[in-house]
Amino acid sequence: MVKRDMPMLAILLLLVLAGCAVPQQQTSLGFVPITGRDKIIVMRPDIAVDILTTGGMLERREDWTITARENVIASLVAIQARRGAARRITITRTAPAADDAILTELNKLHEVVGQSVMLHKFSPSVLPTKQGVFDWTLGELAVKYGQQTGHDYALFLYARDSFSSGGRLALQAVGFLSCAVGVCATQSGGSQTAFASLVDLKTGELVWFNYVYSNEGDIRTQEGADVLVSRLLDTMSEDEGGRT
Amino acid sequence: MKTRRQFILGAGGCAACMSGLAHSRVLSTDLYPLVDVGYEPLDADERGMWQAMQQIEETIQASPQRLNNPELEAYTGGIMEQIIGRETPDLRLYLIRSALFNASMFPTGMMVVNTGLLARVRNEAQLAAVIGHEAGHYYRKHSIERYRSLRTRTAAMNWFSTAASVGAGVESMSNYGSGSNWIYAASMINTAVTMSVFQFSRNQEEEADAYGISLMARSGYSLDAASKIWAQLIEERKASAAERNNRYSDRSKSALSTHPPTEDRMKDLADTARYLAGKSDQPASDRRAEWLAAITPHRAMLLDEQIRLNDPGASLYLLQSLAQDGWNGLLRYNEGEVYRLRGETGDREKAAGAYAAATAFPDAPADAWRAHGYALLKAGKVEDGRYALNHYLEMNPDAKDAGVVRFTMAQ
Repeated sequence: MVKRDMPMLAILLLLVLAGCAVPQQQTSLGFVPITGRDKIIVMRPDIAVDILTTGGMLERREDWTITARENVIASLVAIQARRGAARRITITRTAPAADDAILTELNKLHEVVGQSVMLHKFSPSVLPTKQGVFDWTLGELAVKYGQQTGHDYALFLYARDSFSSGGRLALQAVGFLSCAVGVCATQSGGSQTAFASLVDLKTGELVWFNYVYSNEGDIRTQEGADVLVSRLLDTMSEDEGGRT
Repeated sequence: MKTRRQFILGAGGCAACMSGLAHSRVLSTDLYPLVDVGYEPLDADERGMWQAMQQIEETIQASPQRLNNPELEAYTGGIMEQIIGRETPDLRLYLIRSALFNASMFPTGMMVVNTGLLARVRNEAQLAAVIGHEAGHYYRKHSIERYRSLRTRTAAMNWFSTAASVGAGVESMSNYGSGSNWIYAASMINTAVTMSVFQFSRNQEEEADAYGISLMARSGYSLDAASKIWAQLIEERKASAAERNNRYSDRSKSALSTHPPTEDRMKDLADTARYLAGKSDQPASDRRAEWLAAITPHRAMLLDEQIRLNDPGASLYLLQSLAQDGWNGLLRYNEGEVYRLRGETGDREKAAGAYAAATAFPDAPADAWRAHGYALLKAGKVEDGRYALNHYLEMNPDAKDAGVVRFTMAQ
């Protein structure tokens, strides 16, 4: 059995991001706004929805995850229709003309790089070497992918959502009551963590990044997914009009 | 620190008296598979676990660390079918390039075997023992069972802590006490629950050992192979520790270990092997010839991975055990590499000696001639050195360092 690293990550994020519900946007220096001629590919979003157990473990829920992924894809398609840009969304894991291994690795790499951006750029203790710069990249792999598919940019989206189990809710209630006797044993509830990156497939660099951390929201519903996707991506549409 | 360790050991000893047995072995005859071919989980927690694991499997399939070798995959897959006794569409075996001795099983039927394990087993029966053990984890549904146990226990622990906080709060409000007894009691209970998580995991390992050896008994493999793996590993770890002037200590003896102590596993497997062998009149084989035929073409890669760990005690132990069949050029060359990487006083001479010995064998790899040539040049034997380097270039005309070697020869 492998260890799941999500619970640790969730704890870490709770520590560093507690209270940040306002989306932040970060672009690299010298980002040239995308024009209508650029071909953008929207990668299959990496989505998972979990139950937060009484003991604080995250337990994957297959049905919720499938629904949430469909919802997020539908939100992306709706945005695409509104904007009318030359975009394509890969609904399946395999994009035409790209080899499977590259696609899997790219998605995995984006997850790790995105988490690193959140930790080292947006946490209270920004790395000294990352102050005033935004120089993350998916490297040669992304360039190779661009050459294989003929796209200029790739948009990646990663989202994790979680909800308290019945037991967890009961414990939260007792924990809340305990404040009445002076010892607050409060228990955290479910939360939402998501980030999106726009990657320049000519250089592999992340040219735009945005994240959402929230104690609210529910991507199991279409409205919830729409809210998340627009909070993540709406700031990018401003970029398209002018420089940030 | 010391008192805490004594407390833990004391608690372990006490649990043993209560059960009436110092150590109870899982009987392999009691075990049957809990899942069949085509098994699909129905419960929400298990389905979620499978979904998450399938994503991991996609990553492993595409991983550059995977050893994409159709012959070895077919061979190891064949052992799996032999030991399960039928075709195994429910199990998928991936070979991963990692020099560490390990194999693992995922709840979905994905099995991962490290090249470091292939480097160490001595015959097909030993590999079958490992595959059988891992299959035991799958067929006995250990992952979901362990997860559910952990979920229950962490929930209980959280309730104990919360209840203790409330209790402490009530006490400090009503009696002006500190309430610390509540917190202390909860932490004692939770420590005991935490220890039981590890015990649960150790019990599963024992069950997987028992399951594996019963599969071996049915498929005609020599049963003593299972305990021999652990005997070899203990010897190797002793050699590794001695080389580093450490005393060998088995980390799995800790109360916080997920696996039972290595020596206990070895003894239990040996006992079970004797018991099962007594009941069977089937001829058993370790299928060593088949193993050597399959693994010899990959021996250079496996040794290279091991030697780069720079664990000279373990590497020399491995080379010496392989040399029980007789030294050859590949083994001698790798022996030289161990000394070269260790780099202690006198190691340069030892390496030179090993390279020279390697080139005396017809199977000496090109790299052995190269290393031998440079060693001779360093020793001032210019003519012999040039001859050896020339031999290297003849064997490997497209070598990346051919230019450098020619330059050296021209000096």
